[in-house]
Amino acid sequence: MNIVYVDLDRCVACRNCQLECSFRQAEITRDDGANIWVQVDLDHRAIFTSTCLQCETAPCLAACPAGGLTRDPATRAVVVDRNACLGCGMCLLACPFGHIHLEQAGRVASKCDLCGGDPRCVRVCMAQALHFGDVEELAEARRERSGRRLAVRATHREEAAS
Amino acid sequence: MIRAVPVLPDGRVRTLCRMCDSRCGIEVHIRNSVLADITPAPDNPGNQGRLCPRAHAALDLFYHPDRIQTPLKRTPNGAFEPIGWDQALDEIAGRLKAIVDQSGPPAVGAWKGEGVGFFQQEGYIRRFIRALGSPNYFSNDSVCFNGRWLGHHLVNGFWNPFPYFDQADLILLFGSNPPVCHPPFLREFADARVRGARLVVVDPKLNPIGCWADVYAQPRPGTDAALIWGLIRLVIESDRYDHDFVDRYVVGFEKIAAYAQRFTPEYVEAESGVWADVVRTIGDLIVRNRPRVSLYAGAGLEHHPGGVNTVRASVILSCLAGAMGRPSGLFWPESPRLASLDSRNLFLENGGRPIGADRFPVLAQMAGEGHSLSAVNAMLDSGEHRLRSLLVMAANPAVTNPNVLKVREALSRLDLLVVSDFFLTPTARLAHYVIPGATFLERTELHVHPKYQTLYLAPQVVRVDGIPTGYELWRDLAGRLGLAEWFPWPDETAVIRHLLEPGGWTIDDLTAHPEGIQYAPLRFDRCLNEPLPTPSGKVEFASQYLKNLGLDEIPEYRPPEAFLPASPEFPLTLITGARKSLLYHSRHGNIDRFRRVHPKAEAEMHPDDARNLGLENGDTIRLVTAGGALIVAVRIVHAAEIRPGVIELYHGWEEAPANLLTLDEVNDPISGFPWLKGVPVRVEKI
Repeated sequence: MNIVYVDLDRCVACRNCQLECSFRQAEITRDDGANIWVQVDLDHRAIFTSTCLQCETAPCLAACPAGGLTRDPATRAVVVDRNACLGCGMCLLACPFGHIHLEQAGRVASKCDLCGGDPRCVRVCMAQALHFGDVEELAEARRERSGRRLAVRATHREEAAS
Repeated sequence: MIRAVPVLPDGRVRTLCRMCDSRCGIEVHIRNSVLADITPAPDNPGNQGRLCPRAHAALDLFYHPDRIQTPLKRTPNGAFEPIGWDQALDEIAGRLKAIVDQSGPPAVGAWKGEGVGFFQQEGYIRRFIRALGSPNYFSNDSVCFNGRWLGHHLVNGFWNPFPYFDQADLILLFGSNPPVCHPPFLREFADARVRGARLVVVDPKLNPIGCWADVYAQPRPGTDAALIWGLIRLVIESDRYDHDFVDRYVVGFEKIAAYAQRFTPEYVEAESGVWADVVRTIGDLIVRNRPRVSLYAGAGLEHHPGGVNTVRASVILSCLAGAMGRPSGLFWPESPRLASLDSRNLFLENGGRPIGADRFPVLAQMAGEGHSLSAVNAMLDSGEHRLRSLLVMAANPAVTNPNVLKVREALSRLDLLVVSDFFLTPTARLAHYVIPGATFLERTELHVHPKYQTLYLAPQVVRVDGIPTGYELWRDLAGRLGLAEWFPWPDETAVIRHLLEPGGWTIDDLTAHPEGIQYAPLRFDRCLNEPLPTPSGKVEFASQYLKNLGLDEIPEYRPPEAFLPASPEFPLTLITGARKSLLYHSRHGNIDRFRRVHPKAEAEMHPDDARNLGLENGDTIRLVTAGGALIVAVRIVHAAEIRPGVIELYHGWEEAPANLLTLDEVNDPISGFPWLKGVPVRVEKI
């Protein structure tokens, strides 16, 4: 299945994704909390960006007591049914990654729904750090990358020694 | 609601985004005659199917409820009343004619801003003012861009601001925040980084791009030139620069080699605060990664009185690093064979020298424009050289020029101020007449992207009855002043046909290729095979031209104290002009969803400084400089985010203009730039 995945080696923390997501949330819910988060740790000069992984065995889905979360048959995304959601917050507690939040205005859960299959965060990622595709693609890119990185590191080490 | 007539009732129109100068490919979606969405065009090499959130704001601007849709005339009680198009132009032309008859054409000036676009729009304005017989063309470029443009042109005669970063082994960013200012750079940076390229970021403010760098250096504002000279010294000392290049192409190497001697890493540390070891590390990275070095000088380098020299030094460093003639470095793009709407040389021959040419001859001679800060003085002048009338095209100097109180006073004294814009900006509110401005969606215009040597036709997407395109305004005004022969084309399409003539292209050719036509093959080594457009035809590390004008032959470093002696009255340093991601200078503050992200003006401060001043986050402070004072909230940032002793304030807030604090009378002697970054400041708790 396709998910939004983050290639952290490419993310420059411009926050376009988070802004665009919050604009979309505001269009549909009058709440502008985003469902993709860019974290910049200035103590360690580190960047970490993450969003819902649409887990195959989704703890949020299992934890929901009200049928407020369902799996979209078309996109396979776990989506919130705003009418059924109680706002109990069980899914927030169940998500191991903190990828669900509670809307401030509506008091219902809010999470990434892949924008129905055309995620806007990906569209605004100028660095091409965000991709919409099969998670296996990410893994493949990672494999390729780590091999290359080892080679680059070796070159840098040689340079430093010379 | 605006009376919009899209070119199609349903479908997509392919064009270029002009919300900034990156010119990304976009598709505008039209549904039921409504502009519904803007999505990235799939095959533009710059944005490659992605688009920053500012692009979509073109629709917010287009449909904005506050948009001016009819000419406005200021009434004696200060309110504006809508008037008809013909009445507006008749009255403006009548008053212009009277001023020209009484005081001569130079009493009229034109001022271009970035609000409506670039290139072709600038051509119309330059052409109009020349037709009128006045040399007084001004622009926003005289407080941004021209410093870098001159710095590059003085050394090697060209400037391509868009190198191929993805082909670099080392990228050095000085005073630039590309994730906000140049979004298309990001893909190239990421490609380079993933390939193993190194990144060095030099900026008093730690932006996220600095978190991504191998080396981040946080200099004292205004001392970048000391660091650059230190790096020049290290590269020369390493003896790993290209001797053959220096022998064949360079004028003045010995002079810069001798001058560089004093810039030891320890001296650089004492001047800039960047540790000597960090200076050595950066020097080492340059030497190891030459010649594939991309050095990008951002606006941070030009916004102070030593700006042009700093940029010149950065170009010299690039040359010594072997960047000349390489895609990742300095290359000289070719221009397409287009007819010109205005030649800068003719402009100068016709009607004498523009205002400011006596003080800043380089700006007038090379950029072909007057000095906008001197123009403000000329408006306040009571003598025979008073500037009496100004035609402002989508510029907002009442917010974005330094010393805004003086600017507002000057604009208020004009006998005729005409402003064309989308909204009643603080500048437009001072106007006698306001003309509704067309957004880029309403115009057909040519664009040239020098990086790809591509020519584009960006077609009109929508027409709005009653809002003139840029061309129509100047054509109709010129016609009423008896200058119709200067604007003989009936519409923009005819103008474009005229522009395309020398190159033999047709509108159909360009329409058939919305992805653009490459007008000449890229020859990155052109600058090594043809004489350069400098006085000597070579790379001018030393400039006889500047020396003859009594200016610095080589780009000497001067510390900020050389421009304004250090004073205990102003113990801290103010930097302005760092961008916000969704705002564009003074624009877009009226888009609600953007405003929620950037709700209010805040001065950013280091926690140590806040502690010393007894300030808590959100406290109200008064900032005081030699130029003025401003009351604003304080935001205490992370200790790593800003250099201690430095306060940062965004420059585009209408309600809290940083330009109350900036200094218009302390200028770069070459570009005439004001002091916008590194201004001595005092903070008072209130």
